[in-house]
Amino acid sequence: MVSYMKPAPITKKYFTPGVFVLMLIALNGIAFLLGRLFFGIGAVTHLNNQYPWGIWIGVDVAAGVALAAGGFTTAALGHVMHRSHYHDIVRPALLTALLGYTFVALSVSIDIGRWYYIWHPMIMWNGSSALFEVGICVMIYLTVLYIEFLPIVTERFINHVNLKGIFSFLNKPIERLLMLLDKGLSKVMFVFIIAGVVLSTLHQSSLGTLMVIAGPKMHPLWQTPILPLLFLLSAISVGFPMVIFESMIAARSFGLKPEMEILSRLGSIVPPILGIYLAFKLGDMFIRETFVYLTSFNTQSVMFTIEVLFGVIIPLRMFLSKAVLKSPLWLFIASCLVIFGVLLNRINNFVTAYTPPYSFSSYFPSFGEISVTVGFIALLVLLYRLIVFNFPVISVIDRHYTPRTKYAIRGSEQ
Amino acid sequence: MEKQSRREFFKTTAIVGSAIAGLSSNSTKAAPKNILSEDRMGVLVDTTACIGCRSCEWACKTAHGIETQSLEKYSDRTVFKNMRRPDVNALTVVNEYANHQNAQLPTDVKIQCMHCDHPACVSACIVGAFSKQENGSVIWDTKKCIGCRYCMVACPFQVPSFEYNKAINPEIKKCDFCFERTKVGKLPACVEICPVEALTYGPRNDLIKIARERIKRNPDKYFDYIYGEYEVGGTSWMYIGNQDLRNVAFPKLGDKPAPGVSEAIQHGIFAYFVPPVSLYALLGGIMWITKNRKNSEEE
Amino acid sequence: MKNFILLNVVIYSIVIFSQSKLPKNHSLSNKLNCKTCHVCEVPTKKDPCLVACPRNQMVTVYQSADKTVNIVTLGELSKKYDPVVFFHRAHAQMSEMSGGCVTCHHYNTSGPIQPCKNCHQEERKREDISKPDLEAAYHRQCINCHREWSHENSCISCHELKKAGKVSQKIDVKKIKSKDHPKLKAPEKVVYETLSRKGKFVTFYHDEHINLFGIKCINCHQQENCSKCHDKGKPTLTQQLYNLPVKIHKSADQHHKPCFSCHSEDRCGVCHSNKPEGPFNHAERTGWALNRFHEKLSCSKCHGNSDKFAKLDNKCESCHKNFAAGKFDHSLTGLKLDENHKDLDCIECHKEKNFSNSPACDNCHEDKSFPKNKPGKEITISLKKKK
Repeated sequence: MVSYMKPAPITKKYFTPGVFVLMLIALNGIAFLLGRLFFGIGAVTHLNNQYPWGIWIGVDVAAGVALAAGGFTTAALGHVMHRSHYHDIVRPALLTALLGYTFVALSVSIDIGRWYYIWHPMIMWNGSSALFEVGICVMIYLTVLYIEFLPIVTERFINHVNLKGIFSFLNKPIERLLMLLDKGLSKVMFVFIIAGVVLSTLHQSSLGTLMVIAGPKMHPLWQTPILPLLFLLSAISVGFPMVIFESMIAARSFGLKPEMEILSRLGSIVPPILGIYLAFKLGDMFIRETFVYLTSFNTQSVMFTIEVLFGVIIPLRMFLSKAVLKSPLWLFIASCLVIFGVLLNRINNFVTAYTPPYSFSSYFPSFGEISVTVGFIALLVLLYRLIVFNFPVISVIDRHYTPRTKYAIRGSEQ
Repeated sequence: MEKQSRREFFKTTAIVGSAIAGLSSNSTKAAPKNILSEDRMGVLVDTTACIGCRSCEWACKTAHGIETQSLEKYSDRTVFKNMRRPDVNALTVVNEYANHQNAQLPTDVKIQCMHCDHPACVSACIVGAFSKQENGSVIWDTKKCIGCRYCMVACPFQVPSFEYNKAINPEIKKCDFCFERTKVGKLPACVEICPVEALTYGPRNDLIKIARERIKRNPDKYFDYIYGEYEVGGTSWMYIGNQDLRNVAFPKLGDKPAPGVSEAIQHGIFAYFVPPVSLYALLGGIMWITKNRKNSEEE
Repeated sequence: MKNFILLNVVIYSIVIFSQSKLPKNHSLSNKLNCKTCHVCEVPTKKDPCLVACPRNQMVTVYQSADKTVNIVTLGELSKKYDPVVFFHRAHAQMSEMSGGCVTCHHYNTSGPIQPCKNCHQEERKREDISKPDLEAAYHRQCINCHREWSHENSCISCHELKKAGKVSQKIDVKKIKSKDHPKLKAPEKVVYETLSRKGKFVTFYHDEHINLFGIKCINCHQQENCSKCHDKGKPTLTQQLYNLPVKIHKSADQHHKPCFSCHSEDRCGVCHSNKPEGPFNHAERTGWALNRFHEKLSCSKCHGNSDKFAKLDNKCESCHKNFAAGKFDHSLTGLKLDENHKDLDCIECHKEKNFSNSPACDNCHEDKSFPKNKPGKEITISLKKKK
């Protein structure tokens, strides 16, 4: 039962063959990243004056932000609505969001030409810019995420501070500092939780506003004034499938039993959200009469069809089925489809739909770009593994059952 | 849950709310310079006069310190075989298009930043590195730019270019309407060199009148349309020609400012920070109610 | 008071004097209102205060191309280039097939040719930007035609670079060999193969229209471009002209336009026929054969000077108003009148002065009739056509 679960560091061997493969992929990405840092963006990417944004924005940033939506959706469910039975998945979702956003920030930094000026938006403001809003919100939200994660850190170290040698005199002050931090945080944490949800709502939608300004340069199948709403809805609808996806992966990877009860329940929330998203997407298509573009056979029409059919309609039907919700495999597949759909939607919006009037060739990401993107994902997985091995994130069966305290983010008794 | 904590809840909520409100009042002040002066200058490009000599390309490079061959070498007409776009090494380029009325006399069209009246780049730039100056120039500030290239995504004319092959301080390059020259009373370099004055520099309002007059006087010579008069809310550079330039050199764009929809959404979401603050309050309310219910259940 | 009157008289006399002694060309346009061209009351040579361009109602008198100035050097503007040697006469000759002098001297007055800089300012940065500046005005006149047929637009196709920033040598206009545009080789005739069902062929006698009918090139060739003959790498029109017949490729309207300026009221059959036609024949075309005297006349002698020839009746006195007894040598008609008839008035024989009808004898002689009986002796005329 849920009540008998308690977050704790995983105690297994960190290095497995899979980890080595991931490390190779990550190293390959880092190599191209160094190339970008020393020789400029043009040396590594296929970007040019016609196609200024590629997959580093489309996948790393836009899809990254969307797929990290599990953090705020579960926080809203677990903390704002106090559905306590979801508490066990809040911490992994939080960690995924934290790492996701960290890598979004990193990706943005390497994609912008002057990465060392990434702090400029903090003091140079442009209120009319959608990108400014996204940037500021992501910055604040990242901070909020770190603050939300702090209790896990204090929990790990309280009563465990044990510096050796000359630093041993610091043990006591640090211990007291941690206690103080823990106590203070527990009182104001709700502020950050709500702020996190609000900030996420804002920048998830503003991410959609980003491409509105491209106007006729964007293919009409995607270009619509309700892009921000579609982005928000798709982000919310991908939140729970993402949590299901990572819980299943983690469970398999760490040899735990998937928490099917929670996950099935989560899955049952997906259809209404996904349905609303689909309704808006199709409704918009019919109001603007853009379905005429589907009759011609080109990259855009094919990609749109795949996105809507495999990314929204099929998984929606799957989530509506009780049998799917109960079967770990089918639930996993359905979640994967939603994730694939949103990932493809972001790629489509930022890359496929971007058809400038004057171009010499069409854009396809270079090996370097793909390497960096895949390398980042590998690095993210490795870091996730490293953190759950050292911090109480994933709930395991607790032998000493104790009642829960007010905020599950702290998750343990004091 | 004890009462104190509830009071605290409201207090903290209020503090955060007012902090965000304070933020919003700051951000309105922080908007980049975007002046739409009545006397703003512009250029009228008469493509029927343009001879495709590309002197403007040479003058532009010289004025902006870009390396170039001698002016005499610019008479090479083979460059017209391919369409060219402005890039980091050429802030303006001339392209040549077929003229169906007189095959002997092709239509040459100079391309550069149009210096929109409602520039998408100014609206889009994350740090406000772009600004629309009083004299009509849309210029870029290297001290602010972070190189995100959102201006390139936003520009409806596909003008800004980026130094992709520079690792340190890559720049956004685009025509700056020779802001440094016009500031001290000089003409833009391209206007000054044009041997046939196909580029007329003057107050935008006068240029529109002149363009109309020319079209009226020579209805056979001109296609009755001033490109840039209304495009994306009007541009400082305007074109007339012997054919509809929307079919050859320029995109078909509506008369609504390019940043219009995006800014409307932005300002809708952030109308004095009311929507975010209300959402914050709403979520706070839900949180409080559900918590109470939970507590009462437990009691 | 006296002074005032004196002053007034002086002023008026100046005004009247200056107005009465109009410049030479003004005499041609004395019906014109001064205000058509001038904005002020008393225009002077120094300050003609002409109305601003575009001057739509100007009356302009130009010289014929061959009489214009031969060479003009244009060198007042450029610091970088040598002066341009402009063969004015040659270009004037070229313009005859195009817009004429107004191609370049647009908006000129009936007075002397205005220098370009009277209207076109030298400064690029200036108040009035409605007209191009001087440099642009020059270049616009030259380059568009030049690049049309030579496809060149480089500066050095007209200019020479100054050597070391100095004028390499002063251009001596007299030393430059004058250039004339070679006389155009006009075709004698062109047979057009048209799409018309009735009368497929139109035979156009080019030389007749010029030499016989006295039509000027510009009347038909209104906006001819240099490239019509000069474009490199394309068969020239002159080549096309001699490869008869020429197929029609323009629209009916376009093709009829130059002909209709005169032939607007003619039937189709006047031009169209089923076979290529012979040259103009007055008897065939009008039904009135020209006699040996009339044949030698230019068309305008009878049909007037306008572009469109007036239709005439066949009464001799319509033209020959001074035919009277004693003044007219009747033997020129091939009939030398005898003594008896020599002093008769013309109408005694030629009723109602209708010289085309046979004269009547029976007015006086009941038993005599023309042409059996003649009032004199037939003679063979020695005066032959000098063809």
